[in-house]
Amino acid sequence: MLLALRDIGKAWLIKRTGERVHALQSITLDVHPGEFLILLGPSGCGKSTLLQIIAGLEAPSSGEIRFPDGGGNGKLTSMVFQDYALFPWRTVMGNIVFGPEVRSVSRILREERARRLIELVNLKGAEHRYPHELSGGMRQRVALARALANDPQILLFDEPLAALDAMTRRVLQDELLRIWGETGKTFVYVTHSLQEAVLLGSRIVLMTAHPGRIKQIVDVPLARPRHATGRAEAEMLDRLDGLLGEEVKRAMVV
Amino acid sequence: MTASHLRQIASVAGLLALWQLLVQTGKLSELFLPAPLSVLAAMWEMTRSGQLPWAVLVSLNRVVQGFVYGAVAGVVLGLLAGAVRWIEDMLDPWVAAVYPIPKSALFPLFLLWFGLGDASKIATIAIGVLFLVLVNTITGVKSINPVLLKAAQDLGASRLQVFTKVILPGALPNIFTGLRLGAGMALILVFITEIEATKAGLGFLLWEAFQLLDTTKVFAGVVTFGLLGVATTWLLQWLERVGCPWLQRSN
Repeated sequence: MLLALRDIGKAWLIKRTGERVHALQSITLDVHPGEFLILLGPSGCGKSTLLQIIAGLEAPSSGEIRFPDGGGNGKLTSMVFQDYALFPWRTVMGNIVFGPEVRSVSRILREERARRLIELVNLKGAEHRYPHELSGGMRQRVALARALANDPQILLFDEPLAALDAMTRRVLQDELLRIWGETGKTFVYVTHSLQEAVLLGSRIVLMTAHPGRIKQIVDVPLARPRHATGRAEAEMLDRLDGLLGEEVKRAMVV
Repeated sequence: MTASHLRQIASVAGLLALWQLLVQTGKLSELFLPAPLSVLAAMWEMTRSGQLPWAVLVSLNRVVQGFVYGAVAGVVLGLLAGAVRWIEDMLDPWVAAVYPIPKSALFPLFLLWFGLGDASKIATIAIGVLFLVLVNTITGVKSINPVLLKAAQDLGASRLQVFTKVILPGALPNIFTGLRLGAGMALILVFITEIEATKAGLGFLLWEAFQLLDTTKVFAGVVTFGLLGVATTWLLQWLERVGCPWLQRSN
């Protein structure tokens, strides 16, 4: 086990009304090495908040996060944000070396590592371009390489493909699977797309909204490569749809 | 050269030629509008005598010193205020109170405090530049997408590294806007502060010529101020290109 979440809760206080909103309640979850874990749920189910808590960018109101293998030297997690969050004043290369740079890795080492990652994410030739000179898909490749540059054990994805057009999304989904396979890293991936969950995930955590809780954890035993139109995939989709349907409806009413 | 360029050149050359003609045929008095060629001749004469270069040097010394002090203070305070809440709270009422005051109105006070020498003029220019740079720097820091701060933190940046590697470059475009506005302000203020209580500088030269009704010399001063303005704009644009290469759109 790579990461253990025990009874995590997160509540916000709305100052104007004095109301307490429970974004997350009693989240208990183990993340296993090398898996592609999907956090799936409707808007407002707290899946992004949960990701921020795992990243250490937000503190939980209650509960405990443990990394049983201990810290070591590498960074444990790295985040890939939905809107890329690239530094506009840094080139592709400059963005990717940011992590090692603030961790005082020598210039030669970090640039060599960056060059390898640029090759991994298929960005060769774009090293010296600025983010505004890249397409959305290329930007997300940079964001992925930048997250990998710290050599984290777990990569956290916050709806990374939501801002892209359908064609680019398909291409990048395959790229993500390839990179997941090549690096052997653990992926924790937030999405609200059922299709994406079935296509990518080895396990799917279904979440419900108001408050955000885990409804069910579903294994996805389908063989890879998977196909959006495959029969087994369609059956899995149906099953998830049934489980999630009522939740989405409820979330929309509230 | 495009048609647009040709029209621009024709417009300037035509008007200058018309002006020259009207003066030479006696339709315009040289007392009010000296002919362009007379102004040019006067500038050449004043340059040869050393009068104009000296005046420019004296004024530039005041402008550059005032600008540098004001800009450095403005950037440092602006970055701190933008990044640290309590510093902003302490600074806010002072900015609100002093920003709207025309900085030339502070000149008499500075004369009183710093005497008749360069210090009072430099201080006036510095204050004028400071507030423009300060306000724009704060805007720059506030305009940084918060997710970039999160990303930097997630990648392992310390608070100091977030400051130097995210907040500073993120605010740089707005800082340059402040510097450009500040440079314009510095030229206005150096003229105003040189009208009184000095015996040197471009403003003094211009004002003294006016009092002697030497209109040609007044024009020479005005044109020189114009050239200084163009030169500072070019210099700052070049600095911005070097400092913010990511803002250059590639073709």
